[in-house]
Formats: sequence, structure tokens, C-alpha cells
Amino acid sequence: MPEQLWFTEILNRLLANPVTALLRAVHVEPKHPAAPISNSFAMELLVFGLLLLMFLLLRSRLSVERPGGLQHTFEGLERFIHGQSSEIIGHHSEGYTAFLSTLFIFILLCNLLGVIPGFESPTAVPIVPLGCAICAFLYYQAQGFKHAGVGYLKHFAGPMPALAPLMLPIELISHLARVLSLTIRLFANMFAGDMVTLVFISLLPIVFPIPFLVLHIFVSLLQAYIFVLLTTVYLQGAVGEEH
Amino acid sequence: MSKLSKLFMALSVLSFAVPAFAQGEAAAGGTNWVAIAAGFSMAFASGICALAQGKATASAAESLARNPAARPGIQLALILGLALIESLALYTLVIIFVKVK
Repeated sequence: MPEQLWFTEILNRLLANPVTALLRAVHVEPKHPAAPISNSFAMELLVFGLLLLMFLLLRSRLSVERPGGLQHTFEGLERFIHGQSSEIIGHHSEGYTAFLSTLFIFILLCNLLGVIPGFESPTAVPIVPLGCAICAFLYYQAQGFKHAGVGYLKHFAGPMPALAPLMLPIELISHLARVLSLTIRLFANMFAGDMVTLVFISLLPIVFPIPFLVLHIFVSLLQAYIFVLLTTVYLQGAVGEEH
Repeated sequence: MSKLSKLFMALSVLSFAVPAFAQGEAAAGGTNWVAIAAGFSMAFASGICALAQGKATASAAESLARNPAARPGIQLALILGLALIESLALYTLVIIFVKVK
């Protein structure tokens, strides 16, 4: 039995048998059949549940005449993301705001969850940032195809058609490297923050780790913002038009 | 004595240290070269990353002082540049965590 957080233990106690049966139906044998839900997956489900609750609460309180604090916060977030994406992408960037702000809130909440004792950041295991990076990658490729049709493939050919055989592998590798760099940037920042906090807590648990926790919170915010900023820049590369 | 012969005499004294190689296998498990290399490589990566980030920040501060009206663009470029440089040092950290037991 692996070491489990209290939330993971609750989930496993309730759902271990259905989840193991589901995994076995797709020919995946879980490492611990009594605890198929890992810590990071349980924390991700918690973030998903919390965000769903928050958005439902927001929906029920939307008002044009008297907006409350929650509505102000989300309007401010939407304005921020929209302002940034229109500055980078230019025209017609409203359609991307939904995905980008959801990505931002999800990654931010995942990062900040690790600061609370009894929870851990799902982004501190490599698979979760990989999932976010693959989502961002598929999103901007899909937007590129939606914007330009099959002509989107010309982006991979480079500036001149004569250079296409040389540029094609370089462009492919650089696009795949974007997934890698997004993943490793987010994962390594969160993991390093956890390691540093561990080291300093083992030295002196009382007051010493506080600056490092504050730094970790700042880095969480910054890394969520950077992830979304880079996705916006990649979107600009995919749908932007040179005049 | 000429400078060259003094140099050769100094170098030949270093050969007295060769028996130290023999004691590597006798120690329990031998020296952990991976850990030593990991320490040096992380120090290298962090140092060069700090230099690059310092250059980026200095340039951003100077251009902000010259033209405070361009603050949004300068801020954007600064944050983006700092994060990309930081990630290069973090790749080294990831290799260390993967390779060092």
C-alpha cells in the first residue's frame, strides 16, 4: 500500500473496486489494486471539484446592476487575459480567452494546493504538467488548422519553399520541444519549491521555512502566468497573420 | 635553471599523487562521481543563469527609465525572458534528480 493523503484514502476506500475494474477493462494493471487512485490524481480531482463549485457559485450570483466580489474578481481576470492576448495576438482574440483563463486558474490552484498541509501539488509530479502542456499544444494546433485550414501546414515549411526539406524536421522538433519545455518548466519549479521547503523544514520547522513558502507562492503565480503567456505566444505563431 | 625546467620539475612532483587512484576501489562502494558532477553542473547552470538574468533585468530597468510609457511591453518582455532563462537552469536540476541516486 503506498503512502496516501487523507483525501486519497477517502477516494480509494469509496472507489477502489470500480476504478480497478475500469483500468483492467482497458488492460492496465494498477500497481496497487487496493489503491488505484494516486495522490496526484486525487488532488487533480479535488481541484476540478473546487473549480466546478466555484464556477457554479459564480454563475448563480451573476448580476449586471450589483456585481459581487466574486464577479469582480473573475471579470478582472478575464480582462487581464483578454488584454494580454489581444496585445500579443492582435485581432479576434476573444475566442481564446476562455481556454487561457481556465488553464490559468487550473494551474494556479494546482500549484497553490501544495502549500496547505495535508494536500500536495498535483503539478509536482511530471505527468500533470505534461497533461496541461499537451492540452495547450493540441489547442493551438487545432486553432491553427481552424484559422487557416490545410494551409496551416505551410507554417512548418519555413520562409521559402525551397528550404522546406530542411525546415520541416527543425520545425517539427521545435514544436515538440515546446511541449517538453512547458512541462519541465512547470514541474521543475514546483518540485524544486517542494524540495527546498523540505530541506528547510528538516533544519528548523518553526519560523525558518516561511520565506521559502512565500517564495513558493510567488513562483506558483509566476509559473501559472508564464504557462499561459507562452501558450498565447504559440497561439500567435499559429494564427497570427503577417501583413 | 630555466623556466621550462622548473615547470617540468613541478609537474613531475604531481606524479607522486598517483597511488591515490588505488584507494578508490578499496573504499566502501567507491566515490560517487555522478553526485560530484551533479554538484558542479548545477553550480555552473545556476551561475550562468544568474548572469543572463542579470543582463536581462539591467537592460529592462534601463529601458524603463528611458521610456516609462512603454512599461507594459517592457514588463512583458522582461517576465518572458526571465522565465525562459530560468527554465534552462531547471533542465539541469531535472537531470540531476533523474540521474543521482
